Amino acid sequence: MSISNGVNIWEIILSPLIALIIGIFFLGLARKIIARIHWRYGPPITQPVIDIIRMFSQKGISHGFIFDIGIILSLTGSFIVILFLPLGKMCPLSSGGLLAILYLMLLAPLGIALSSGEAANPNSSIGISRKFLLALGYEVPLLLILLAVMTHYNTISLIEIVRIQSTTGWSFGSLPLLLSGIAYFLILPAILGIRPFEVVGAAQEISSGPNAEFGGKFLAFSTIQHALHEFIGISLFVNLFLGGWGLFGILEPITNTVWSVIFGIIIFFIKMLIVFIVELFINAVFPRFRIEQAVRYLWKWPTLFAFIGLIVVVVVK
Amino acid sequence: MDRNQLKKWFKSPAKMGHKYSLHVIYFCTGCGIIEIPPSITTRWDAERFGIIPVATPRQANLFLITGYVSVKTLKPIIRTYEQMPDPKFTVGFGSCPINGGMYWDSYNTIKHLDKYIPIDGWIAGCMPRPEAIFIAVTHLWTLIDKEMADGYKKYRENYKYYRANQEQLYGKLEWPPLFAGKDKK
Repeated sequence: MSISNGVNIWEIILSPLIALIIGIFFLGLARKIIARIHWRYGPPITQPVIDIIRMFSQKGISHGFIFDIGIILSLTGSFIVILFLPLGKMCPLSSGGLLAILYLMLLAPLGIALSSGEAANPNSSIGISRKFLLALGYEVPLLLILLAVMTHYNTISLIEIVRIQSTTGWSFGSLPLLLSGIAYFLILPAILGIRPFEVVGAAQEISSGPNAEFGGKFLAFSTIQHALHEFIGISLFVNLFLGGWGLFGILEPITNTVWSVIFGIIIFFIKMLIVFIVELFINAVFPRFRIEQAVRYLWKWPTLFAFIGLIVVVVVK
Repeated sequence: MDRNQLKKWFKSPAKMGHKYSLHVIYFCTGCGIIEIPPSITTRWDAERFGIIPVATPRQANLFLITGYVSVKTLKPIIRTYEQMPDPKFTVGFGSCPINGGMYWDSYNTIKHLDKYIPIDGWIAGCMPRPEAIFIAVTHLWTLIDKEMADGYKKYRENYKYYRANQEQLYGKLEWPPLFAGKDKK
């Protein structure tokens, strides 16, 4: 089960499953930690699972064919992106690398937009337009960041980038890519859709936005897609800047065994957990931007950092 | 509370899911809504029982009518109730939805809410304190366990009765009947 160019059927089954478990665990953890910050006891950590069971047992109301297809499309898009992302040492599909991920990451918001557009709820329409504006906001710095990383490591393969980091040290710690890493950390709340960039699913303003017409199993699919989306955003950061499965070379003695895959996933999970909890603290203390403030911020500071980072990378090379 | 008993979860996951994931849509018609913020925030923390407010009726399964119901606001209440997906529960909060309360002799207040939509339970008091909401929730759990919280089934079975009552109040309603097939019989 080590990394190879051939497609491993176990990895294709296991990788989305582990991603789904981690994503739903993060949803539960988020509610618990936010509750503790509010000095509340908070729901049990399994609350998202209970919610999803309840939603599946309710009778969803469909608004037409595109409404059914769109949410499936977004769920499929998220699962396909996960197949391209290295999870520890597991990476089922590796051809295409970062370019394929960048291209496929657009499928999930597109599916949600199709689905909620069919519902013809005005709140959904506002939510979709905000979603795409926000995507426009963070795609510009994200492209510059990925360009800097690809230029620095001379490859588009994410597996290769992680492997080089395991020998030369994390790219967040290396001087040329430090600014790009900071820029990615600044846009990460926008990618995850949490405060201060919670403009899309703002429950108090636009009745939870694109989710406004989702009930029953559609809401369950939407929740699962949200969990997968959180996994994608954080795991891309961990892979690009925090060295993926590498942790000061402690997996060196057991390379090419099953144990290295298992411990790789555990190390990867711990790194994701730390990044997620830091983002949660940011989520807990900040209010919400308006959409034009969010885009102005995203095009100012993260873009500036990413652009200078790209220039530094080119100059150092 | 039997939330941690795995045997019950495997036996009837849907019932347990409904018990411990009550997503509430509040209809803030009157002063009753003032008791809701303390019950969902730090002081009483309803989220530890899985109760959170949601923004749209599509995502909810508990409908809490807080405060008096005037003839004008009954129409949105009916529409909200009909938009909720199917296993759904309704609770009237305070004296006013029960029998008019202090507006008992008003020409413009609905005195019998359960003539227009089915109600699964009432919370008496003017105002009921937030603890009363939790007592109501534990009663609702018992009702769900015994399958007695079946207002949505009653609405489907007796839709003709409810629709006639609604039309008696408003004349002709601007939306078509919810269960068209049942109505023709």
